[in-house]
Amino acid sequence: MKFMLALLRRAATADIAAARLTAVRMLVQPAVYLFVFGHVVGGMLPAQNGGYAGIMAPGIVAISLITGPFVTVGGGVISGYYFRTMEEWLLAPVSLRAILAALVFGGLCYGLIGGAVVAALVWAILGLAPQNAGYMALTATVGALLFSLFTLVVLLVPETPDKGQEVFSFLMMPMTFFGCTFYSYDMLGAPFSYLALMLPTTYIAEGLRAAYRPDSPHMEAGMVLAGLSLAAAVLVPLADWAFRRRFRDFTW
Amino acid sequence: MAAVSADNVAFVYPSGVKAVEGLSICVRHGEVYGLLGLNGAGKTSVIKMLATLLRPTSGSIRIFDLDTMERPAEIKRRIGVVPQENNLDTYLDVRQNLIFHCRYAGMAKKIYAPLVDEWLALLGLEGKATESVLRLSGGTKRKAMLAKAFLTGPELLILDEPTAGLDPDVRALLWDRVGEFRRNGGTVFLSTHYLEEAERLCDRIGILHSGRVVAEGTVADLAHWAGQASAQQGGVAAAFRRAVGGCL
Repeated sequence: MKFMLALLRRAATADIAAARLTAVRMLVQPAVYLFVFGHVVGGMLPAQNGGYAGIMAPGIVAISLITGPFVTVGGGVISGYYFRTMEEWLLAPVSLRAILAALVFGGLCYGLIGGAVVAALVWAILGLAPQNAGYMALTATVGALLFSLFTLVVLLVPETPDKGQEVFSFLMMPMTFFGCTFYSYDMLGAPFSYLALMLPTTYIAEGLRAAYRPDSPHMEAGMVLAGLSLAAAVLVPLADWAFRRRFRDFTW
Repeated sequence: MAAVSADNVAFVYPSGVKAVEGLSICVRHGEVYGLLGLNGAGKTSVIKMLATLLRPTSGSIRIFDLDTMERPAEIKRRIGVVPQENNLDTYLDVRQNLIFHCRYAGMAKKIYAPLVDEWLALLGLEGKATESVLRLSGGTKRKAMLAKAFLTGPELLILDEPTAGLDPDVRALLWDRVGEFRRNGGTVFLSTHYLEEAERLCDRIGILHSGRVVAEGTVADLAHWAGQASAQQGGVAAAFRRAVGGCL
C-alpha cells in the first residue's frame, strides 16, 4: 500500500512540476472539445433525444477516463524504459504484483480524476449532470481500471515499449472513433454496430450515456456490465502475465 | 553464514546468449569483493542476479541466506544497488529522487528526511538539490545514485562499475564512502574494469572471463597465481592479463 501511494504521489509531483502541460491536457483540451462540439456544433444540430450535446458529452468523459490511465501508466512504462526508472521501481522491496498493482492504481486514480474534471466541465459548459451517479461511478471506475490494464498489455507484450507505442497509436484512433464516444450505439447500423461491440470504449461510453440521460436511447445496463466484465476477465490475467513475463527477468 | 553465496550459477539470455556459466562465489560479511572483467564478461548479469533483477537459469544465489528467486522483496530491503546505468527519475529533481527512493522502500518521513539532507551534504549535492536531473553532469548523477544506494541503510552494497567515466575527485569521494560503509560493518560487492580500483578497494577479487570466474583471491593470491613472487604493485594486472589471455 505504501508503495502504491508513493508511486501515485510521484505521478502527482511530476504533474505539478509540469503544471501548464497538465492543465492543458486535463482541462483545456476537453473544455475546447465540449465547447466546440457540444455547445457550438450541438446547438446547430436539430434537437433529438436531448440534443447532440447530451449524446457526445458522456463520450468526452469516456475519452478522459481512458486517456488518464494511458498518460499515467503508459508514461510510467515508457519513461521507465527510456530513463530506466522501471529498474528503480523493480529494486523497491516489494513484489512484482505490488508494482503492477501500484501502476494500475495510479492509472485508475488519474482516469477518475480526469473523468471528474470533465464531468464538471460538462456541467459548467453544457449544463448536464448525471442522473444516476452510482451507475456513472461504477462505469467510470471499471473503465479507468480496464484502460490501465489495457495500456500495460499493449506496452509490455512487445519486447520493448517503443514498439508498443506504435501498436497503441494504431488502436487508440479506432477505439475512440468507433467506440461510440461521439455518437450513441443505437445510431449505428451493421456492420459498425458489430465492430463497436468488440471495443471496450463502447461499453464505457454507453454506460455513461445511460447515467447521464436514462430516458434517451442507450445500451442496456446488463449489456454494458457484461461487456465490461468480459473485458476485465480478459485484461486482468493478460496484464498480470505480460507484466511478470517482462519483469521477472529485467533485460531492458 | 555468507553475505553472498552463488552456487554453480548460469544465466542464458532469451536470445540464447550465455552470459554466466558455472559461477560459484562466496562473499563474507564485512568483505569488499570485486569482480573484474572485460566489457561483456558477464559482470552486469551477475550484478543483476544478485540484485534479484534476473533469475539464474540454473544454480542458486543466496543473499544473507535468502534465495534470490524465493524471497526477492526481503533481499531488496537489505541491499543498496548502484546499477551500471543511472536510473534517476527525470521528472523529479535530485532531492525528490532521494525522497521517492526512500518512500518506495516504505520509510517514514521522520526517518528519511534527515537522512536525505545528510547524504546531500556528504556528497556535496546541496547546491544541486532542486536541479532537474536532466541538467546534471555525469559525476553529479552518479553521486545521486550513490546517495540512493546508501539511504535505505543497506547491509550489502552492490555496485556495478560505480566509477566508470568519472573524474578522479568524484571517484575518490565514492571510494571514501565505500570505505566508511565497510568500516561500519557493511559488505560490498562491486564490479569494475579498473584494476587500480579493484586493487585499492577489494579484500578479494574474482576475475570473470566469458561468464566464468577464472581466478579468485586476495591481491597477494592473484599476484602469486600470475607468477609474481610477492604482492607487489601490478599483481592484479598481471593476473588479469593471464586470466583473459589473448582478449586484451
